[in-house]
Amino acid sequence: MDRRTAIRNLALVIGGAALLPACTKQNPIVNYKHFDINIDQQTLISDMAETIIPKTNTPGATDLNLYSFIVKMLDDCAKKEDQQAFFKGMGEFNELPQKLFNKSFADCSNKERESVLNTFEKKNNYSKDMLAFYNTVKGLTVFGYTESKYFMTKQVVYELVPGRYNAYFPVKNLKAGVKNG
Amino acid sequence: MANLNIDSVKERTFDAIVIGSGMSGGWAAKELTGKGLKTLMLERGRDVKHIKDYPTTNMYPWEFAHRGELTEDIKEKSPIVSRCYAFREDAMHFFVKDDEHPYIQDKPFDWIRGYQVGGKSLLWARQTQRWSDFDFEGPARDGFAVDWPIRYKDIAPWYSYVEKFAGIAGNKDGIAELPDGEFLPAFPLNAVEDYFSNHVKQAYKNRHVISARCAHLSKPEPIHFEQGRVKCQNRILCQRGCPFGGYFSANASTIPWALKSGHLTLRPFSVVQSIIYDENKGKATGVRIVDTNTKETIEYYARIIFVNAAALNTNLVLLNSTSHRFPNGLGNDSGVLGKYVAFHNYSAHISAEYDGLKEWTTDGRNPAGGGYIPRFRNVYKQETDFLRGYASGFSAYRGSKHEQHDIGSGFKESLAKRELGPWRVGSHMMGETIPKESNFVSLDPVKKDAWGVPQLKISVDYDDNDEKMKKDYLEQLKEMFTTAGFTNIKPESNHAAPGLDIHEMGGARMGNDPKTSILNKWNQVHSCNNVFVTDGASMTSTSCQNPSLTYMALTARAADYAVKEMQKGNI
Repeated sequence: MDRRTAIRNLALVIGGAALLPACTKQNPIVNYKHFDINIDQQTLISDMAETIIPKTNTPGATDLNLYSFIVKMLDDCAKKEDQQAFFKGMGEFNELPQKLFNKSFADCSNKERESVLNTFEKKNNYSKDMLAFYNTVKGLTVFGYTESKYFMTKQVVYELVPGRYNAYFPVKNLKAGVKNG
Repeated sequence: MANLNIDSVKERTFDAIVIGSGMSGGWAAKELTGKGLKTLMLERGRDVKHIKDYPTTNMYPWEFAHRGELTEDIKEKSPIVSRCYAFREDAMHFFVKDDEHPYIQDKPFDWIRGYQVGGKSLLWARQTQRWSDFDFEGPARDGFAVDWPIRYKDIAPWYSYVEKFAGIAGNKDGIAELPDGEFLPAFPLNAVEDYFSNHVKQAYKNRHVISARCAHLSKPEPIHFEQGRVKCQNRILCQRGCPFGGYFSANASTIPWALKSGHLTLRPFSVVQSIIYDENKGKATGVRIVDTNTKETIEYYARIIFVNAAALNTNLVLLNSTSHRFPNGLGNDSGVLGKYVAFHNYSAHISAEYDGLKEWTTDGRNPAGGGYIPRFRNVYKQETDFLRGYASGFSAYRGSKHEQHDIGSGFKESLAKRELGPWRVGSHMMGETIPKESNFVSLDPVKKDAWGVPQLKISVDYDDNDEKMKKDYLEQLKEMFTTAGFTNIKPESNHAAPGLDIHEMGGARMGNDPKTSILNKWNQVHSCNNVFVTDGASMTSTSCQNPSLTYMALTARAADYAVKEMQKGNI
């Protein structure tokens, strides 16, 4: 059990009602410029990001702290109505794992989490807010991952100075891992 | 005089004053100091020293808090400048925010400005094409504006002169309507750009797709090394300022050159209120500024004055320079000052895909941006129901492909794989607009800016000709794309206000007749012969080339003339 799960479980045990959106000592709130986020919401976003970009033999969303990036972008770069849709959609989202697996997303196994999120990747009839919530988390997770220092130095190498332009470059000569402009 | 006890008149007297430090002001300073004139360059914003003042130039993408994106706070506070393609997290500091210098939009106009030493020359898109007589003869042939007082032969040597110094990459394409210049090696077209170029050549007799000509040092010459500039490194992060001096900017090129002469005094934080006109001498004697740090009003004096404040601000300075002799603005006997403002119509683009040539891609980056299609409409004769025509950008690239609708470890891996998608192609329109009396700028009678200068009121709009031309652009490009075998063709028209093209021109136009123009063929104010205007304000018509190269050439030509006239005692 990692530290995060331990804290969350502790909160569940002590609080007994961690799904309530109220601020309790067991569900502390972090204040951002345009909204507050409690630890359950933080956990949900982190778990979703980790499900989208999981740790494999390379770092995943949690290792790269994509949660902080997602929330910063949501706080600084999203319109007020999009932030509202995000939190409204998040509330609706919470019902989905309950309906599918009779438990919270936090309590789902990795496989169950994947199947919850995969319902968004297929045809569905989810509400606009729920789609906005999911698409924001996914979009920012992928954006944060592909623009992370790790990804841009170890996976697809970003070159500040290529010093070249080969207008005709044979595809067969492409090397994996080098970004060609 | 508020400033009598600050320094002596002598210390505030120069041979020449240049108002503005951007694309054309930098050239004025370089030329005038090069001819030995003690020159004062006034810049309303702060100093930006080459390399030292490019704070983001070596930053990696992940070092930007928002990875390049604008925050909602900035967009809400500055909606106008936020619409500019180059106003992003890495170069925001080089743009004027909306609240920093308000203006009045009689009609919607996105006025994009760069108030610092170097002005917008730090930020420009670096595309450089010469005009030909098909452009200079346009107004006379097609019956609009007034006849240009110059022809290609008058400016051709000056194009050569500035091109050699600035460094222009391009091919000698041998196209009459887009004369060749003094070129460094071009950045080549890629496989699909070449394919399209060949297709167009075969399908149409007078249409060409060429390598875009641009102010980048593809292969620097000794004159560029002498400026401290080296080869372009293909970073395409130009808007941050280039530590290599790989593209031409006043900061990397003309200003340090002028400073090296020992004849230049550069004064940032100096907002010009007006040009001082001496009724007895019948000429301008200097410039009145406000020091934006001390709020003092100070006068500077000189024998000649070059106005290079950027097109609309040049109009503002002239309109605000009133005297008994010129109650409606300096040199404005004709009443046309501020009028006949025009711009470039950038409000259409078209994109598509190409399914062939999949064995090719590109490696590195192309600072020229790809291809350029010179104007092919109404060149040799009038052939459409609209006047003039458009140039077009054209570029092709291969995007990467990964599964969009997926999550998890397989999806994660696919992000790092270099799976190439089909070639994507795109073009954007750069249309000539017709200068009209009804497109004008004026001074607001009441509202002033923080320095006591009246706010500029901008009343500029598209017209029917622009709509017809846009329709034609989309039809023609669609046809060219279709016959080339491109698929998924998407013509798109946007409703951007004028201004976002950042090619506003006119208001103090050149012409033969003082009754209908402000400047003569030497960019000299008809009725005040020691004042020269050599930026975008001087343009009689806009044609459809990117204008900066022409401003540079006009400036060098006018400076040469001004100094000769001074030597003859005529000024």
